Amino acid sequence: MSERGKPGSDGQRRRGAPFGDPIALIGSRAIDLAEEAGGIALLSVKVLLALLPPRISGRDLLRHLYRMGVLSVPIVVLTAFFTGGIMVIQAGIFVKRFGAYGLLGWGAGYTVFREVGPILIGLMFSGRVGSNNAAELGTMTVTEQVDGLRALAIEPVRYLIVPRVLAMVIAMFCLIIIGDLVAVGGGMLFGKLLLGVEFSSFYHSLVDNLKPWDFLVGVIKAVFFGLAVAITSCHFGTSVKGGAVGVGRAVNDAVVAAALAILISDYLLTLVLR
Amino acid sequence: MLRLGEVTKTFRGEEILSGIDLTVARGETFGLCGPAASGKSVILKVLCGLLRPDRGAVVVDGEDLATVGEDRLMAVRARFGMLFQNNALFDFMTVGENVAFPLVRRGGVEPAEVERRALARLRAVGLGGSQDKFPSELSGGMRKRVGIARAVIARPDIVIYDEPTAGLDPVTTSKVYDLLRRERDETGATVVVVSSDVDALLRFVPRVAMIYRGKLRYDGPAGAAADAPDEVVRQFIRGDIEGPL
Repeated sequence: MSERGKPGSDGQRRRGAPFGDPIALIGSRAIDLAEEAGGIALLSVKVLLALLPPRISGRDLLRHLYRMGVLSVPIVVLTAFFTGGIMVIQAGIFVKRFGAYGLLGWGAGYTVFREVGPILIGLMFSGRVGSNNAAELGTMTVTEQVDGLRALAIEPVRYLIVPRVLAMVIAMFCLIIIGDLVAVGGGMLFGKLLLGVEFSSFYHSLVDNLKPWDFLVGVIKAVFFGLAVAITSCHFGTSVKGGAVGVGRAVNDAVVAAALAILISDYLLTLVLR
Repeated sequence: MLRLGEVTKTFRGEEILSGIDLTVARGETFGLCGPAASGKSVILKVLCGLLRPDRGAVVVDGEDLATVGEDRLMAVRARFGMLFQNNALFDFMTVGENVAFPLVRRGGVEPAEVERRALARLRAVGLGGSQDKFPSELSGGMRKRVGIARAVIARPDIVIYDEPTAGLDPVTTSKVYDLLRRERDETGATVVVVSSDVDALLRFVPRVAMIYRGKLRYDGPAGAAADAPDEVVRQFIRGDIEGPL
């Protein structure tokens, strides 16, 4: 694991010399990046191994599902509702110009299900749950709670990380379904209010033109995004060093890395799931 | 028996421990002191297998922790009870859950018995009735006592206390050491205490070692440490202003 924020650590020395030799700076940043990528890959393997066989405390899993999933529902509903509305506003320009009112449901549904819904909900999830998870694990690390687990002969990956990763993946799976339904509802409402498109017309445009696969693509993406948020936040949380400053930096790094992971995996998944 | 043989540990090119040789007999109460950042906590973590040495042997009852695999290390760690410098109480658990946690994770004990033992340990440390509070609701001294209760609830063979009285007032310090004494007498466990509070430590342990800049400078009777031939040891134990420190 890297030693982010530790006074005198190589990472901090490298970050602390912004006006040094640019080649050395690029090289050191590349090494930092490789360290983090390696740490994330290693943690992914450890999580996978810890799942064989799965020995997870149901109580812990439910606790995390409640905190990460149930408590995220309001913000996801709000995000999804207005996302549906935004899709209708954007599509409205062309719908009006070409009189294609019958395609509004399809247009809004297609973009929400396949792209905008998973990405926006993934980013909201990262901001709310990923950052909180990184901060919580980071605090546990700097206050020796993680060492405390190891001293009690408890493997932190199995006890701390695996339930969180599972909870985040399951939560994202559920949240995207809720989010998609709410976004469609928002699209219908804004379509009626802004463009005068009847609910039934919007609905038929949606169900007649979209395939279940369009919906499933978004769900699959959301599961990957949940995994990306989980692994990055757990990695940055557990590799934190250097007290409160280190925790703050870890949260920042976790959110940035999760956003990057979401966008990169979205690109790759879009290529694969066309 | 615990034995460190020529243990060396390096962090980022800096040698934190340099050829440490130390033996603690079964059932012995042993103290370790030294200035801040001298490597005391690192020794404790090496002793219970939380850190592996770069070189040297860490022997627990004939088994060298420096060479065993992670699974075996886990099994050996289960023989230890540890109080961390920051107590390391799990802040998402209540006080009662924290204390009961080692028994719950180890398994083989009925839930009712776990609860009975946890409540008994809490009463023993003077915190009866606090089981439903969270660690954040307790004072520093109370958290320390919860940490002690958790460290000993599973009746470990070896108990390690890292700075058990750091940041506590003199009265609470005396109470904590009195508690450690009672726990030790009750369990007969091997006890290793690291402390910067030299006076209280010397009153508690019959044998003490001093570490300075990663090297062992003294290992002998606690009563003789103030008159040690090493000037560094004498100054540290006596708390003199003048001297090499």
